[in-house]
Amino acid sequence: MTPAASYRSARLLAGAFFLAALAGCAGLVPQTMALRDAWPEGVPGRSEMPDVAFFPQEEYQCGPAALATDLVSTGVKVSPEDLVSKVYIPDRQGSLQAEMLAAPRQYNRVAYRLEPSFPDLIREIAAGNPVVILQDIGLGFLNTKWHYAVVVGYDYPEGELYLRSGQKKRDKTPFTILEYTWRKSNYWAMVAMPPDRIPVTATEATYVPAIAAMERVGDKEAAITAYKTALERWPDSLGASVALANLYYAQGKLKDTEATLRRASERHPESVVVLNNLAQTLSDDGRDAEALSLIEKAGQPDPKYAAAVAETRALIVQRMEKKK
Amino acid sequence: MKSSLKRVLCSFLVIAMAMLPFQYGQAAMIGSDAVIASAASQADRNTVANFLNRAETATQLQALGVDAKSAKERVNAMTDAEVASLAGKINSMPVGADSGAGTLILVLLIVWAVWYFAFRR
Repeated sequence: MTPAASYRSARLLAGAFFLAALAGCAGLVPQTMALRDAWPEGVPGRSEMPDVAFFPQEEYQCGPAALATDLVSTGVKVSPEDLVSKVYIPDRQGSLQAEMLAAPRQYNRVAYRLEPSFPDLIREIAAGNPVVILQDIGLGFLNTKWHYAVVVGYDYPEGELYLRSGQKKRDKTPFTILEYTWRKSNYWAMVAMPPDRIPVTATEATYVPAIAAMERVGDKEAAITAYKTALERWPDSLGASVALANLYYAQGKLKDTEATLRRASERHPESVVVLNNLAQTLSDDGRDAEALSLIEKAGQPDPKYAAAVAETRALIVQRMEKKK
Repeated sequence: MKSSLKRVLCSFLVIAMAMLPFQYGQAAMIGSDAVIASAASQADRNTVANFLNRAETATQLQALGVDAKSAKERVNAMTDAEVASLAGKINSMPVGADSGAGTLILVLLIVWAVWYFAFRR
């Protein structure tokens, strides 16, 4: 090989390496690359929530600090110290993801895990919802260091996101670095929402169960507000309708229960659960004839509900006979 | 081991007893779980497995230094799926903990080492 030819082939080889490295780097941050071609529609290029509180992290306690940042932004009066007993595990010196999701419910906030998506993260920030993320800020091949931070803003033309993180009030992080550290947690991200608001990226199928999780431990009134809000966004939601009606029923509000179930029945005439619960409600309201004709519509229900339907029917018949 | 099993069983029985009146109190209304997707797909709702998971997770949190009352409340705030994801696995789950400072120093050290050994003439 002549010197010139070997020089050419070396250059070619270097070029190939360079391209491979570039492709490799792009592979490290696939979502950042995708954002270049497909910035989420209708979302401004920059957005920041400068008023979100900052709690400098105490030793190892980024979980309580990040969660307090998020909860305070939704109007909860809470400090990281209050949250230590709820999300911090002394012997592991950290906080579990499941507990980060569980704690807000005790403050009547709906904890919602976002889809693992950069555009969704950006859309939530643009909508004014600070997002808690889990990052691995270690070096990957050397060590793993899990860390919670709160994303409060971004500036795409500058290529930066703004985080409340550790000791830093406004940690400027490039999109690529954020994705590189964030993707190791499988893009784990959550928001805590007050009952009267819903994350912009939420879907009915995932958000209604998130409300149900809050209902188990939070105030009933907060749950009622949350389900009502969900029904404004997703009027067809069978889950939110039945759950709201059950809450009204437990409070003895038969008229509200009936109204909620009637609306659900118009949209889901085939739902045995709605038919059964509406019949029960009408019967409790003293309208047994109406109730009986409703429960007859259930016909031969799914075996899951057969016992409940039979019970409701028996109760109605029994009440009618008493009246005679 | 035997006493911890006993404790788990006892707490299960206590909870099971406490639940009984509610099931009758609900008349024949069908519960919300029946129609809320993830709740319904959690087949083990109110089953023995679920209670055991909860008891086990609370016990494990206590073993890791959380006081008994908090451990109970914390487990209570979790969904069945969340508890199932933790039961018996807390020690291997990621816990967010670190502040960024340490990593930055490590990065600077490596950059310095690369420069020192590879490029310094």
